[in-house]
Amino acid sequence: MANLLEVSNLSFNYGRLKVLENLNLTIKENELVCILGVNGAGKSTLLKCINKILPMDTGEISIDSKVVNDSDPASLSRLISYVPQSVKSSFSIDVFDVVMLGRRPYINWAISKNDREIVSKTIHFFGLEEFAFRKFNRLSGGERQRVVIAKAIAQEPRLFLLDEPTSDLDLNNQIQVMKKIKTLVEDKANPRSALIAIHDINIAARFADRIILLSEGKIIADGEPVEVLTPENIAEVFMVSSEIYNSPSGNIQIVVKDEINN
Amino acid sequence: MDSLSVAHIKNANKQIFWIIFFVVCTLILTMLSIGQGSSTNLTMWKTVRIILGLEEANELQSSIIWELRFPRILMAIIAGIALSTAGALMQGCLGNPLVSPLTLGVSSGAALGAAVAIIVGYSVVNVPELSIVGNAFLFSLIVVAVIIKLGDMNTISAETYILVGIAITFISGAIVSTLQYFASDEQLSQLAHWSFGSLSRPDLVNVLWISIAIIGLLPTALAWSWDLNALALGGDEFAISTGVNPRALRKKILILTALMTSIVIAFTGLIGFVGLAAPHMARIIVGNDYRKLIPCSAVFGSFVMILADTLGRTLFAPVVIPVGVMLSVIGGPFFMYLLLRSRG
Repeated sequence: MANLLEVSNLSFNYGRLKVLENLNLTIKENELVCILGVNGAGKSTLLKCINKILPMDTGEISIDSKVVNDSDPASLSRLISYVPQSVKSSFSIDVFDVVMLGRRPYINWAISKNDREIVSKTIHFFGLEEFAFRKFNRLSGGERQRVVIAKAIAQEPRLFLLDEPTSDLDLNNQIQVMKKIKTLVEDKANPRSALIAIHDINIAARFADRIILLSEGKIIADGEPVEVLTPENIAEVFMVSSEIYNSPSGNIQIVVKDEINN
Repeated sequence: MDSLSVAHIKNANKQIFWIIFFVVCTLILTMLSIGQGSSTNLTMWKTVRIILGLEEANELQSSIIWELRFPRILMAIIAGIALSTAGALMQGCLGNPLVSPLTLGVSSGAALGAAVAIIVGYSVVNVPELSIVGNAFLFSLIVVAVIIKLGDMNTISAETYILVGIAITFISGAIVSTLQYFASDEQLSQLAHWSFGSLSRPDLVNVLWISIAIIGLLPTALAWSWDLNALALGGDEFAISTGVNPRALRKKILILTALMTSIVIAFTGLIGFVGLAAPHMARIIVGNDYRKLIPCSAVFGSFVMILADTLGRTLFAPVVIPVGVMLSVIGGPFFMYLLLRSRG
């Protein structure tokens, strides 16, 4: 499979604080990659640097072998769609129109029949029909999160950057949302990939093709879930003891036992 | 086409219907307003017929209509369009429902310019009739220059713009107060009169020039509707992920709104309320989609301005209450009623 995203020597500092240090990573087409790490490890910062929300200090990012360091937001948004941790709305619009904002990179002013169809299809795909014409700020946190992910899907990017997309969702919706993202990423006819910053280690173990463990701005481990999620790695990054089990479905399951005190 | 797409089109059509309905209401109010005044030999229908060219007017009638009423009403329409559009744009790009065209300090700049012309006697324009207008416009452009400079800074945020606007307002206010301390009674009275805001100051030629400038700037505002929708809904990060450069957009919008506001208030004096309230009234009808909100705010702004001006010059005729005062007196309670009702 070809590389979709290539990040070389990415560094980012908040003033004197080094957040990301000479980070290198690649993501292949049709790959779902989860980044795990403690709070402040640099997961969100990495996603924001890739989407140019934060300006990196050094490094190079390319998508489909095209360097995107100097790309403007409009052309970048046709390649990447980023879902922030939360969206606080000042002036709310209908859910249908929020998802329609995903078509913004392709729309000049008028909405085409095709744009409307894509939005409608995405709303059906995500099961949002019930509140398609409800105001965005009248939804619960979880419903909002699903709407913003739907907007990212309507954007038809090559790469999804999702910052804790399941943090506000109930257990059922966590599974549903991750299954839908997995379905999109596995579509060979339309090769896309996803890079997801997430805290739920079991969700990552179940759905990720690859897991990256990030600690203090550096990659500690990178590989398939079974290789990366070992009790030793988990103890090093999260300072907790754990046991790993093989589930009947073939995935691994992690049971966190206790904190490890220095 | 599936049911969701059909429902979306239906909703949009409903909102467009309401905009057209309020355009018609504004046109009717315009006609009624032109027909209202202290002259007894001009009834409303006679005035309408003269304006539409269906009836010949004598010299006095022609003078009342074309020199007094028509420029005033046209100025009300244009000022309403400019200030309310500027208000809607600013609220969206700063993500704050409390801001108005006066938040950035453009009006305080204009007031300082007017004070310098009236009290110091210095004006950048050597034509006596335009000395206050010229100064008010130039000093408000200084504020626009500050906005351009701020927009070039990498770390500028929406809050910074608002805080700088507040700082400019305080600084200008302090200088105006100092000048007032040394002013004569006549100068104080002239400055107070300017600050009330009036639509009768510009003549027909000036109003036509103002109209051309404002109408010329409006399509630019509409072109940014999608970007504003993204920025107003979810802030900077959400806007970037949608393909918008929030810093560049904010700078462009604030320059545009400051220009629109400067052009109007240099001629009319301070008119504040409409820029805050009209966009919120429009939001109640068409929601927050800027493709419809901008035209709807413009229509509401015009409607409210004409209504306030007409009541101001007819309620206690021959005494004329300035439009700025009338707007606050009738608009304030009405605005509160609308907000409480919509939130209830």
